[in-house]
Amino acid sequence: MLSKNVVENTLSAALGTGADFAEIYMEQSKRNTLSVVNGRVEAVQSGLDYGAGIRLFFQNKAIYGFTNDTSEKNLIRIAREAAAAARGDRVYPLQGWQKMNLACMNPIRRMPDEVEKKKKAEMLFLASAAAKNYSPLITQTRTGCLDVVKDVFITNTDGLWAEERRVRSRFTVEAIASSAMEKQSGHLGPGGSLGFELYDQIDVEEKAREAARIAVTMLGAKPCPAGRMPVVIDNGFGGVIFHEACGHSLEATAVARNASVFAEKMGQQIASSLVTAIDDGTIPNGWGSAAMDDEGTPTQRNVLIENGILRTYLVDKLNGRRMGAIPTGSSRRESYRFAPTSRMTNTFIDKGQSTTAEMIGNTDFGLYAKQMGGGSVDPATGSFNFAVLEGYMIRGGKIAEPVRGATLIGKGMEVLMKIDMVGDNLARAQGMCGSISGSIPTDVGQPMIRVKEMTVGGRG
Amino acid sequence: MNRHDLQKQMINEALKHGFTDCEVFYLGGESFEVLLMEGEVSNYENSSEGGVSFRGTYEGRTGYAFSERLEEESIDFLLTAAKENAMLMSEEEREELFGGEQYPELKGYFPELEQVCVEKRIQLAKRMEEAALNGAENIASLDYCVLGIAKREVAIVNSLGLDISYTKNFASGYVSAIARNGEETKTGSAFWKGRDWADFDPEETGRRAARRGAGLLGAGTVDSGTYAAVLDGKAMTSLLSSFSGIFFAENVQKGFSLLKDRLGEQIAASCVTLRDDALLEGGYASVPFDSEGVAGKNKAVIENGCLKTLLYNRKSAKKDGMGSTGNGFKAGLTSPVKTACTNFFIQKGENTLEEILQQMGNGLYITDFMGLHAGTNAVSGDFSLSAEGFLAENGKITKPVEQITIAGNFYTLLSDILAVGADLYFAASGKGSPSVLVKEMTAAGK
Repeated sequence: MLSKNVVENTLSAALGTGADFAEIYMEQSKRNTLSVVNGRVEAVQSGLDYGAGIRLFFQNKAIYGFTNDTSEKNLIRIAREAAAAARGDRVYPLQGWQKMNLACMNPIRRMPDEVEKKKKAEMLFLASAAAKNYSPLITQTRTGCLDVVKDVFITNTDGLWAEERRVRSRFTVEAIASSAMEKQSGHLGPGGSLGFELYDQIDVEEKAREAARIAVTMLGAKPCPAGRMPVVIDNGFGGVIFHEACGHSLEATAVARNASVFAEKMGQQIASSLVTAIDDGTIPNGWGSAAMDDEGTPTQRNVLIENGILRTYLVDKLNGRRMGAIPTGSSRRESYRFAPTSRMTNTFIDKGQSTTAEMIGNTDFGLYAKQMGGGSVDPATGSFNFAVLEGYMIRGGKIAEPVRGATLIGKGMEVLMKIDMVGDNLARAQGMCGSISGSIPTDVGQPMIRVKEMTVGGRG
Repeated sequence: MNRHDLQKQMINEALKHGFTDCEVFYLGGESFEVLLMEGEVSNYENSSEGGVSFRGTYEGRTGYAFSERLEEESIDFLLTAAKENAMLMSEEEREELFGGEQYPELKGYFPELEQVCVEKRIQLAKRMEEAALNGAENIASLDYCVLGIAKREVAIVNSLGLDISYTKNFASGYVSAIARNGEETKTGSAFWKGRDWADFDPEETGRRAARRGAGLLGAGTVDSGTYAAVLDGKAMTSLLSSFSGIFFAENVQKGFSLLKDRLGEQIAASCVTLRDDALLEGGYASVPFDSEGVAGKNKAVIENGCLKTLLYNRKSAKKDGMGSTGNGFKAGLTSPVKTACTNFFIQKGENTLEEILQQMGNGLYITDFMGLHAGTNAVSGDFSLSAEGFLAENGKITKPVEQITIAGNFYTLLSDILAVGADLYFAASGKGSPSVLVKEMTAAGK
């Protein structure tokens, strides 16, 4: 995206002030979104995100600047201004570059921006109708499709010169069921590092009916009773429990500042011995997959927890310097507007031995969280909370009545230690994760798990 | 290319290419931010950005496209994409452009704010950091300590002759302290946002964060049950923000709010007056006009408990046969014009926090809600949120509380407000509330 000459002059300007490392990240993202509300096109948007970010390291100090004016003059100005905030003690030499050969992790069969928008709209109409026709209780539907073709270029003073094209597509559906005084919603959002072939892999009408089913079921549900009880969390998006309760606290962003409950716990038991957890940025066509991270380190499979023992953190270059740890291919950012930092990619609890029948059957009284909503965590305290979108009571080893409005709260390590059954049905689901380097696509995942005891919030 | 020239040129090109009217919305800004860690600058950021969003009528339909690449070559892409997008929209959804009106005088740009040198700014951040570290016993470290300045420019040019712009800037400081006692960890944060460095007291901000964190140490849970509750300004503001969408006419029209046909009715306790005031002096969200060029206004949304108006953009106003309330905003370049609040707050009452706690007697004093993006149902008004705060007994705060969830319904809560405090708090977004006393809420603890 930039000529060698411009790169050389910009990086030289950065090093000229005593920075020991400088990096240019540049992107152009072409994005298309289409949304259909109640069977009518509500919005169609197309556009270009475009800009560059320049990052300088002065030992453990980082300086970042960004702009959408990528002229040589302006890039050099940004580099100089950024550098004005710090001074190094010597000028490091600029080296030559080696073009990085990246394996293609996410082969794309059909570029989404080459597909007619009319065709995308027709698919959304089908999904809307499927949700609407599921039940007369469905009063509103929202469906949408999003595709992004993001071209990324990264170069740095360590000789890195790398380019990658990242293509992602996602379908979203939300159905709302209403009674006289009440509304409940169900939503799903499958996606991947895929082109338009995403829609060969999923049945949008089936997904729409599933969202409608959740909304209708929850409309009839009673408020969830509050208290401490065993909780069985289903596979797929249920993995948000691990993402929130543990994943964020394993990011070097929190660990390096000593603001994580898992700091200084390497090699120690932090979870039940049934728990093995993995973050894998190399899963072919995974929603959170890429060939390299956003500072040019190839992605890899990181075993975070092995049979309950903490094995690695998720590390980026800057925090790696601060902690004396090697980067794990985990440095990510939403766009050039953000300096990258350690984040999750595709994160999941690995499969175990228990069957669904055993897990429900062995629970006398508790909550079955079939569909999870989102949640959040304070990495410093490990306190997390998340919403249960579709829940049922378990009574006498059987799934009983549906309950709504349940929230699960707790502290990361406590809950991880209390996982007493791990199922054999691993599945992943797609989400957007927001943190200091912006909102990025991440997969969460797990098989069905049981937590011996958790605080359940609700109005019942 | 200069943004104004590009806007003009784009309009000329669009009219040549078959658009019957069109508008080019520019959004740009500059920002500076410094992050400290242990007395050292750990991150420093400096940026300048800008982009345009185009919308135009083609064959009677409205099409959108945007670009952050401000070069002549982008014009062709924008016009082609906007045409294709327009053809998918129905003619009934056509958006009419606005030719403009009289605008209020609003001072939003304070150049002196940017004239303080980098070293001085870093010094202020260091003082805030030190005050937070020493502001209370048991402060172990800081989670964040950030100081920044942000400048934002909006400029709208359209084929009906509208050509308006404004610039505003703010400085802000934010600090979050980690308090630790044995295995127990708590965080407390505080911020300042303003137009004059002389108003910034870094020591006070730092101490406030430290005290907020340390004050929560020793927290326990409470028995599950129903409690009277005082929500402090910050906690109530976060709920109000999560449910602000129920007051948007476009949500009511689409069935995403339960306020349909409630205009003129009592929907809240009579002590509640909720305003949306675009012209509030010094307000964080004050603007002379919205993203459609409609002049900013000050209106009561709820007055003494009675629903007075919904918030309108031009499209939703037309549907209801009303005028826009000046709440048509784009969330960013990529977003179409939707509805958004300006300074949106519950008007302050007369009681001090102490008086309100006295009035409650026994109950919970909630200072923070977590997980608002997940634990709220914007349509039904239901919420179930992790919360922290204090237990109040006989009108006095007795001990900190954590690991509880508070569940309720926002519509019910509005009617259940028994008293409104005089301690109006504003979040950085411009949304705000004083402390409020709520008749009852469901808490889950042990």
